[in-house]
Order: sequence, then structure tokens, then C-alpha cells
Amino acid sequence: MSTYQEFIQQNEDRDGVRFSWNLWPSSRLEATRLVVPVSCLFTPLKERPDLPPVQYEPVLCSRANCKAVLNPLCQVDFRAKIWACNFCFQRNPFPPSYAGISEANQPAELMPQFSTIEYIVQRGTPAPLIFLYVVDTCLEEEDLQALKESLQMSLSLLPPNALVGLITFGRMVQVHELSCEGIAKSYVFRGTKDLSAKQIQVQTLDASAFCRFLQPVHRVDMNLTDLLGELQRDPWPVPQGKRPLRSTGVALSVAVGLLEGTFPNTGARVMLFIGGPPTQGPGMVVGDELKTPIRSWHDIQKDNARHLKKATKYYEALANRSAVNGHSIDIYACALDQTGLLEMKCLSNLTGGHIVMGDSFNTSLFKQTFQRVFSKDYNGDFRMAFGGVLEVKTSRELKVCGAIGPCVSLNAKGSSVSENEMGVGGTSQWKVCSLNPSTTLGLYFEVVNQHNAPVPQGGRGAVQFVTQYQHSNTQRRIRVTTIARNWADAQSQIQHIESSFDQEAAAVLMARLGVFRAESEEGPDVLRWLDRQLIRLCQKFGQFNKDDPTSFKLSESLSLYPQFMFHMRRSPFLQVFNNSPDESSYYRHHFVRQDLTQSLIMIQPILYSYSFYGPPEPVLLDSSSILPDRILLMDTFFQLVIFHGETIAQWRKAGYQEMAEYENFKQLLQAPLDDAQEILQTRFPMPRYVDTEHGGSQARFLLSKVNPSQTHNNLYAWGQETGAPILTDDVSLQVFMDHLKKLAVSSSA
Amino acid sequence: GQEKDKYIAPSAERGWNDPPQFSYNLQNARGQQKGHLTRRAAPPTSSAPPTIPLSSNPLAPPPCSLAPPPRLQGKKQNCFMMKCCHGNNRSDGFLTAGPPTTTTPPVQPGSQEEEGGGDQTQCEPDVEVVLSSLNRALATCRQSVKDQVCNDVEKRLLLLDDSWRAGKLSLPVRRRMEALSLELRAGHWDSANEIHRSLMVDHVTEVSQWMVGVKRLIAETRNLNPELLEQLQDTSVTDQDSDLLQG
Repeated sequence: MSTYQEFIQQNEDRDGVRFSWNLWPSSRLEATRLVVPVSCLFTPLKERPDLPPVQYEPVLCSRANCKAVLNPLCQVDFRAKIWACNFCFQRNPFPPSYAGISEANQPAELMPQFSTIEYIVQRGTPAPLIFLYVVDTCLEEEDLQALKESLQMSLSLLPPNALVGLITFGRMVQVHELSCEGIAKSYVFRGTKDLSAKQIQVQTLDASAFCRFLQPVHRVDMNLTDLLGELQRDPWPVPQGKRPLRSTGVALSVAVGLLEGTFPNTGARVMLFIGGPPTQGPGMVVGDELKTPIRSWHDIQKDNARHLKKATKYYEALANRSAVNGHSIDIYACALDQTGLLEMKCLSNLTGGHIVMGDSFNTSLFKQTFQRVFSKDYNGDFRMAFGGVLEVKTSRELKVCGAIGPCVSLNAKGSSVSENEMGVGGTSQWKVCSLNPSTTLGLYFEVVNQHNAPVPQGGRGAVQFVTQYQHSNTQRRIRVTTIARNWADAQSQIQHIESSFDQEAAAVLMARLGVFRAESEEGPDVLRWLDRQLIRLCQKFGQFNKDDPTSFKLSESLSLYPQFMFHMRRSPFLQVFNNSPDESSYYRHHFVRQDLTQSLIMIQPILYSYSFYGPPEPVLLDSSSILPDRILLMDTFFQLVIFHGETIAQWRKAGYQEMAEYENFKQLLQAPLDDAQEILQTRFPMPRYVDTEHGGSQARFLLSKVNPSQTHNNLYAWGQETGAPILTDDVSLQVFMDHLKKLAVSSSA
Repeated sequence: GQEKDKYIAPSAERGWNDPPQFSYNLQNARGQQKGHLTRRAAPPTSSAPPTIPLSSNPLAPPPCSLAPPPRLQGKKQNCFMMKCCHGNNRSDGFLTAGPPTTTTPPVQPGSQEEEGGGDQTQCEPDVEVVLSSLNRALATCRQSVKDQVCNDVEKRLLLLDDSWRAGKLSLPVRRRMEALSLELRAGHWDSANEIHRSLMVDHVTEVSQWMVGVKRLIAETRNLNPELLEQLQDTSVTDQDSDLLQG
């Protein structure tokens, strides 16, 4: 078992890949019986400080419908200078520049340690990065001031050659002409009518005028700083009982159209800053009457959300246009009420843009999260990349079913595309307009070998991931990852296949499928589907005597999987009624793009316990971990919660930490803060920070996440008075596992 | 003081559950992420709820006189802290309680140099000195850079001067501006830029009106042709404040 753990970790470290199964069943039928599909989490631009890029073009297979990249799995005849493509078996001559290669002198791309390799390629003139700020001016004065300052600050973080533009909106939409001359000009659009790209171009005069809206930072930074400093709140008065008229839809349309007309197919970020929902024009989410609240999940369930369908369709069209041009859209939404993320989420989800949700622009959460958009890597380059195109090639026995992540389909048909779709399917290529080193896609495969066909020659299946992208230093690069796994006959080697199961990856991959379904299916149906897969998996791999639940056991490689599914069912990704539609959209947005470690934290939060009795230790996410003389640190990804047990809280209130003799208590209080620091310093988006204690109103963040093993239902039944009881009717993990075992062992299932 | 270690503790007024704020330098001083908060406890094997030995009975009423926490046994014990590989950040506790410990936070290669070369300089930065450095650079720029740009920069340097003399700038800002002017004089463009960025990030409210002028000044000065640069640096070296320049 430990060998697979090592194997899994090495592969993730080197290639940014985690497969659900690391031994592949050699037939389609057997693969479906494994319940969890052969699938992987793939991080295309995983940070690899130890991987220097090579400065030449990749060598491609010459077969027109293959074009796989030369890789360590290829057979090479060094004497004849020929290589055989491992995907299509075509024999290809090496290009002339490879005349000097030999066994002893191999190019990097043939060496096993370069299963992941990056090429820097020349593709025309390097294009500058483009940042287009789209700013809502219907904000409270203090909020607007804070936002203005953040925008001014960001100008100092942008590279001098980046192009920058500004659109402001409220009731009207204003496109600001940036120049280094004194006079500030802008073009105004009505916020009520949508405009086609052509109309925008016509209305803003000639093409050269168009370019004056996007100018290099080094030329316009002083003027733009002043312009931002002078921005006023939207001048249209807001009557009592009304919302401001906010024309977000038209503003975005102008932004997308502007970029479409001037810089198609160049890396660009539209950054939308909003303080409330769109209330007029196309894409409006709610009317301006405050007495009509913005839609809740209940409204949506009762089909009582007037604008939902139309607005969603409007933003989807914009999102698709943007994606086609390789432009990404970020949404920075800071308001106490919802802002329409449910309708607008596709703008970011389809283009790889960020969604940041906060209460106000005048918070450290927004300010620091926004700063981190411009964070730099070990080379001093931005961590953002643009115009990503991911292509997946597979050996014959595999086909691609689809991808789940911040991408759109490029509709690339071919022999490796399966007819069964999972996620964004029907293609072997996807566009990821904006990506960073943690962007992770879920990719799903299908084994197509027929049952009883012999295990393929050479015994290994292969997948190649080719990611072309624009680096933030404007170079064009291609990263190629080629992996292989052994085929195994499920009839005779089921135990080996079982031991190759990566339960963490599988949990996240299945969870992504669940969230994907939840976008179009009813909640209870998704839960039923998830449950059914879990039961089937337990039936397949559980060791038990028929109809005897107490005999049920799972091997180590699957032992954590049911617990992950238990927490997934309770998670905000699938339980929506405790959150607003915007919150659910926000959580899901982040869930389907994070790497494995962060995704698992989201599914099953981490809980550490601090006490005088020993070093800090991870404890069960269970109510029994809540004890009076412990401090708990919980990380849900979206929140960091520090919870002081009852006794700790009393001591703290009494001020013992201020007394010299109780220095150790002071250190105890400090320890979780220090440990939380790394997370707070690096995570994007920055999490909320909850410092609470027993009986505190914010303790609910902890209480709602822990397994309610002690509830008011069973507290006295167990006869133990340990841990803090939770007031809930949620089923506990114990009850869940009992039910699961019963169903798995049942001969009538 | 080491301002780079400064945190702003979370404020209940500003935002619900707003996290603490880290300074620009602390933000950038992060090393390779160790991700040490990733372990989970092993799942229970039986279906009974987990039992943990009782240390105190939480359902009993609180004791009449609070039992104090266990006392120190002699020396301070640090073993309750999580073992961090990068472990030096212990001193940067973000509740600014107590003086930092003897360990120093890690400094990334190429990251910002110490402010003014050390914390021995307790004397107040001199606005005259700082502004004269900046104005000297501007004067040199006037020989080759467009008037419009130079005038815009000058406008902002005046604003800086006014704000400083009116006492509107906090000590950290004044200190960093002094450091920036020294870096500019020494031709350390990247360092000067880093300081400008750190000021924009940490003190945007105080500096946003004029900082972009300083930023532009750095950009234009570094692009001056070599003769002009030499000219500028010659005058700097003969300046009587050269003792402030650290090795």
C-alpha cells in the first residue's frame, strides 16, 4: 500500500496528475463495474521551480490526425534517427537539428524525469497583457473610496507595458478615453439597451479612437490615477425604497465588445467590480424596488425568479463571446446582499476568471485578495497565464469523455473523443482563457477495449496533455505531460487494481461530477446518485458476509472514501438551502478549479486541536473533539475558525495570558494563530477569519461542520457525556455508515 | 521598528470576520508553501461515537474560583508549537503582543533590503533631503523627458512636500520615502520600485495622491541616457548626506 502512496505522490509532484485508478481495467465492462471512472485531476501549470523550459519547438508526430508530441514513452532508433509515436505507432524521422542525438546524448523530452516538459516557442510578436477595469459607481462613499484606492494601488502592481482601460457605470455606462494629455474624455452609453459590437464600434468613432481606451500603463498611469481619484458616486439620486439603477449588463457588453474589436485572441482580463445587483437593462437580476427581494433558493424552486432565465442566458452569451476571444472575466462582488453571482457566474466559470465575494471593498479580505491577483512567482512573473488551450491525447484503448473545470469546449472531434459525455464533453480540446499554477481540471476517460480482448501489447495505456498558453511575461509556451499506467485484467487482478485506487482523487472527481450534475438536476436526485455510486462501490470492494452488516470491511485504499462522501453530502456544494444562490455559486466556482489538497479541505475541513497536553494534532471532525480545555483550528478553505473551549475562554477572559507566570497559556493562545498564518498569507481568495469560543454566536461555523455524533437525539442514549452536543437532526457519520453497510451487504440490493 | 512585520489585527467594524492584514513585505517573504495543516485524524473503526478520556467535565457548572492553567515548569516551553519547516515566523505573531523573539523572519533573495540600512537610525527623516534628491532627479529628467510628464511629476512632488510638512504622513511612510530616495540616488531602480510598491500596498490612503509621480520619476530616471545618469549620480555623491548611504 505504501508503494502506491509513494507512486501517487511522485506522480503528482512531477506531472501534476492524480488518477482515480493507477492500474487500469483492460475492458470497458470491467471499467464500468469499478463504479468510479478512470479519471484524473490535472494541474496544467503546476509550479515546477526545478523545471527549466527548453527554448525550441516540440517535435510532433507527422500523422495528420495524431500530432502527438515526442515523449519518454516513444521508441527511438538512435542509429536511424527515427522515433515511433507511442499513440499511433507512426514512424517519424527526427528533424535535422536532432542529428547529433544518441543513447548517451538524449534530448530532454525523451528522458523519463521529463515526463512533464515546457517549451518556449515563437509565435509572432509577443502581445502585451490587457487589464480592463469595469467599475460600479453605485457604492457608498466609503466603499467607493476604498475601491478607488485599491485600483490605484493595482496600477503600481501592473507591468509597465500592460494595457489598461476603464469603464465606469451606474445608470449610464462610460468608457474613458485614456490619454496623457490634460483633457479627460469619455463616451457614454445608455444602460438600458444592449448594443452589438458593431454598434459600439460605430458609436465610438473610428478605430484609432478605439485604441485610446486601452493604453500602456507606463504612459497613462499618472492620468489614470487622477481619473480614478476623481471618480464620483453615480450622480442619479436613489429614491427611498429603491435600489440604484445599475447597468451591469450593458457595461459588460461594452467591455467585451471593446476587447473583441481591438484585441481578439490576446490575453486580457476584464475585471468587474460591483457593489450590488444589476437592476436595469439586459442582464438585470432584480428590479429597483427594495420591497421585491432578490431571488432565494426557495423562489427558484417555486419558479418564482422572474429574471433568472433571461439574465443567465444574457451573461452566458457574453461569456461565450469572451471565451472565444481568449478574454477572461473576473467578478469582484462586495455587498451585504446578493449581487447576482448566480446569473453571472458563467462569465468567470467559462473563462477562468476569478469570483471574489466580500461584504465591502473597505475590508482587508477584499484588499488583500485583490492584491494577490497580482502575486508573483519565484521568477518575479505574475502567476496568471492566458489563452490556455488544453489538448488530451490517449492511446487507442482509451477515449476522453469530458472535462470539469474553468473551461469551454473547442469542439475538437476525433478518434479519441467518446460519445459518452461527462462534464464538458464531445471534444478533446478545451480553452482555459485564464489560468494559474493551481488551476486544476477534472478529466474523465472511458476504456473502450472489448471484454475478453487480450490485454494490449506492451501492457500500458497512455495519456498526453498538451497545454499551449501565453505566459505572463508574454512568451508563448507549450507544456507537455505524458503519463502511462499499466493495464490489468480485472478478472484476475482485482486486488491489485483495488490497491491502486487513489481515494482522495476519486472523492474529488466524483464530487465534481456531483456538482456538475447539480447545475441541471434537482438536489435530491444528485444526492441519490452520489449515494448510489457509493453503495455500488462498497458492494464491489467491501469484504463482508451477505446480509451481515457488522462483517463489512473496506481495505485501506478505500477506507476514507465513505467519510469523504458523507461530508460531501453535507457540504454547501450540494446542500444549498443554508446559503443564498450567490453563495452557492461562489462555493461551487472555487470547488471545481482547485487542486486536490484544497478541494479535499473544502469537502472535509481540517481540524487541529491545541492543548497543554502535547503538540497540536489533527482530530476527528466530530463533536467529540470539542472540549473545554482545547483550542480548535478549523480550515474549511473559505473560513479559518479558531474556537476556544469553555475553560480556555474563561481563562482568556480572566486575563491569565497577561501574567508572566502564565506565559505558556499565552503561547497556547498564540499557537493556532501562528499556524493559521501560512494559510492566511497565501490562500486565494483570502478566507474569512472567525475567532470564537464556546457559546459564541459564531461557534455555529464549527458546529455546523462537525459530525454530529452527539446530538440531542442520541446524547443520553450513548450514556457518555463527552464532547459538545449539537442541536441538529442531521444524520451522524455513525448512522450513515450503519445504513451504508446494511445496503452494501444486502442480498436484495 | 521593523514595520515589515506589522499586521493590522482584524477589525470587527470593517467586515464580518475580516482577516488580519499583512504588510507587503511580509506577504512577499513567504517561502515555498509547506502546507503543514493538511493531516486528518484516522477514522473511527467502530460505529460507537469516539470516546476521549475526560480531562474536565464540561457539563458541570464552572468552578467558583477559576482553576488557573498549569504553570510554567522553569524555562519556557516551545514544544507546543507546530513544527514548521520555515519556522521563523514565530516572531511575526499577528496579534502585535509583546516584542518579537530573537528569530528573524526569512528574507527572500532579491527581496527588499532593510529600510535605511538598519534600525539604528532613530532620527527623523529629513523632508528637505528626500525632496531634494527627488527634485534633482526630476531636473535631470527635464533635459530629455517631455515637459508635460515632468510637470505632472513636479505637481505630485509638491503634493508630497506639502503633505509631509503638514504632518499628514505617518512615520513608516516618511521612513520608506527616505529609503526610496536613497535607492534612487544610488541607482538601485528595482529596490526603489519595490519600496514604492510597498508604500502603495500598505499605505495607499496616505500616498495615492502623489506616489504615481514618484513611480514615474523612477521609471524615467532609469531610462535616462548614460551621460545624464552619470551627471545625476555625480552630484549625488558629492552631497554631504552621502554618509547616510550604507555599504
